[in-house]
Amino acid sequence: MSEKKRTTLNPALAATLPPTNVDDLLVSVKYYVDEEYAHIRIKDDKVCAECAHHPCLDFCPAGVFTQDRTGKILVGYQACLECGSCRIGCPYQNVDWNLPRGGYGVAYKFG
Amino acid sequence: MANKLTFDAIVVGGGPAGTSAAITMAKAGLQTILIERGRFAGAKNFFGGVLYTHALDEVLPDWQSRGPALERPVTDTGYWLLSPDSVLRFTQKSERYKKVPAESYTALRANFDPWFAQQAMDLGVLVITKTTVTGFLRDERGRVIGVTTDRPDGDVYAPVVIIGEGVNNLLTQQLGLAKSDLPPRYVALSVKEYLGLPEKEVEARFGLSGPDEGVAIDIFGDVTLGLPGTGFIYTDKAGISIGCGLLLEQLVINNLKPYEILARFKNHPIIKPYLEGAERLEYGAHLIPETGYDRMPALYTDGVMVAGDAAGMVDALHREGTNLAMIAGKMAGETAIEAHKQKNFSAEFLRGYRRRLQDSFVLKDLKQYRRMTDFLDSTPHFMETYVNFANDAAYRYFTAHGMAKRDMEKEIIRLLTRRRSFLGIAVDMIKLLRGMRG
Repeated sequence: MSEKKRTTLNPALAATLPPTNVDDLLVSVKYYVDEEYAHIRIKDDKVCAECAHHPCLDFCPAGVFTQDRTGKILVGYQACLECGSCRIGCPYQNVDWNLPRGGYGVAYKFG
Repeated sequence: MANKLTFDAIVVGGGPAGTSAAITMAKAGLQTILIERGRFAGAKNFFGGVLYTHALDEVLPDWQSRGPALERPVTDTGYWLLSPDSVLRFTQKSERYKKVPAESYTALRANFDPWFAQQAMDLGVLVITKTTVTGFLRDERGRVIGVTTDRPDGDVYAPVVIIGEGVNNLLTQQLGLAKSDLPPRYVALSVKEYLGLPEKEVEARFGLSGPDEGVAIDIFGDVTLGLPGTGFIYTDKAGISIGCGLLLEQLVINNLKPYEILARFKNHPIIKPYLEGAERLEYGAHLIPETGYDRMPALYTDGVMVAGDAAGMVDALHREGTNLAMIAGKMAGETAIEAHKQKNFSAEFLRGYRRRLQDSFVLKDLKQYRRMTDFLDSTPHFMETYVNFANDAAYRYFTAHGMAKRDMEKEIIRLLTRRRSFLGIAVDMIKLLRGMRG
């Protein structure tokens, strides 16, 4: 999907985006973390290894996806806001995304 | 398990669609169970802020006397066209909006949805929280006769199930009602911050005379770096909801972080003064299905109906969704009541649900704006080009340079044609018109 039309954005405009630490935002979010069940999983690490742009590292609004020193994609499901973007946004449908178990996950205080 | 847990109707999801369906059925005496995966109804719900009272009137006519959890009536509303250094405002403030109840209210969903679900409970609905519905129970002919959940012995039976599971419509897909997952081109990812600010401060900054006034503004242009999407600012009682949404595909192909786009928006010279000193109380994100009429899931099958975001019931142009969900939930509920009277839960009978929707604004509006998302997607320059032009033109118009006005007008035309050819403009306008007229 994504490879057909990469970036329509003016790079000068992209340069105006302020680097933002998502953790500063996530401290305002209430979670009930399910330590026994990771509701997001990478289906096949090999697919990620071949992915050129790793859009998940950027579009995930909770920064759930990070890359370790070897380039492997790590999943910090505990921070997930359950929007579902990674399930449909991964160009290779390589994210296995399920609902957290009942009562777990994000619990908005204001919504 | 000795006794099967059996009800007249099962509702999946305690949002506006599900709760409206449950209220409608409970009022008609159906034994109704509502299953919600959050710790409370609304725990997973997050939006950019407006609820419409016409829908509440229909679902719960006496809602006003039930102490609804609303923030501010919307008395000042419209669009801001934001360029990198300017804003052109198209908003309306009117005494006409100041009536009780108002046409619409800003709200916070973790307050409103639990209140709404409480009304369902008061009417006799059994609301079960912290329970995720995982699949369906079927009879020997494959017809849905209940749901499975992640609770031990958690199977629940009913001849009719109403799905209001929200935008991540995994159950709707499981039933084959949605043929595929949501295409990222037709889904917006929205992020929002709820900022706390004393009531008086909110009122002073937005020119509101008191708690009976509030603003709801959609913002186009620089907010989304000119990409297809919008920003929004809504005033709450003692706070501001500010956010932005872009089509997910744009974030994917441009490797953009949604929270950086929001941070940039908050930092815009026009926006920043409104937020000064406000404290971030919550951040969140949610998908908005802008799938449109042509890609909506099928709305019913044997023993099942689907309502709200799960069915793509969003009119993004008018930021409507909760009202479509409530009306659809009510109509699904009414269809379930009829089905019980006739003892007929077949797909053929439940088609009455779709017929009801067709006669209402829900499917009429969705049909009219069926091309809206395609319009935005096929004219990605639209926001940037015209919003920036409008601001440049206004600046030229409102300043004097000792120049004949006729020359000033020519200059404004040049400002436009420098950006886009006449043919290009004509094509854009035709596309926009098609998007608007259906």
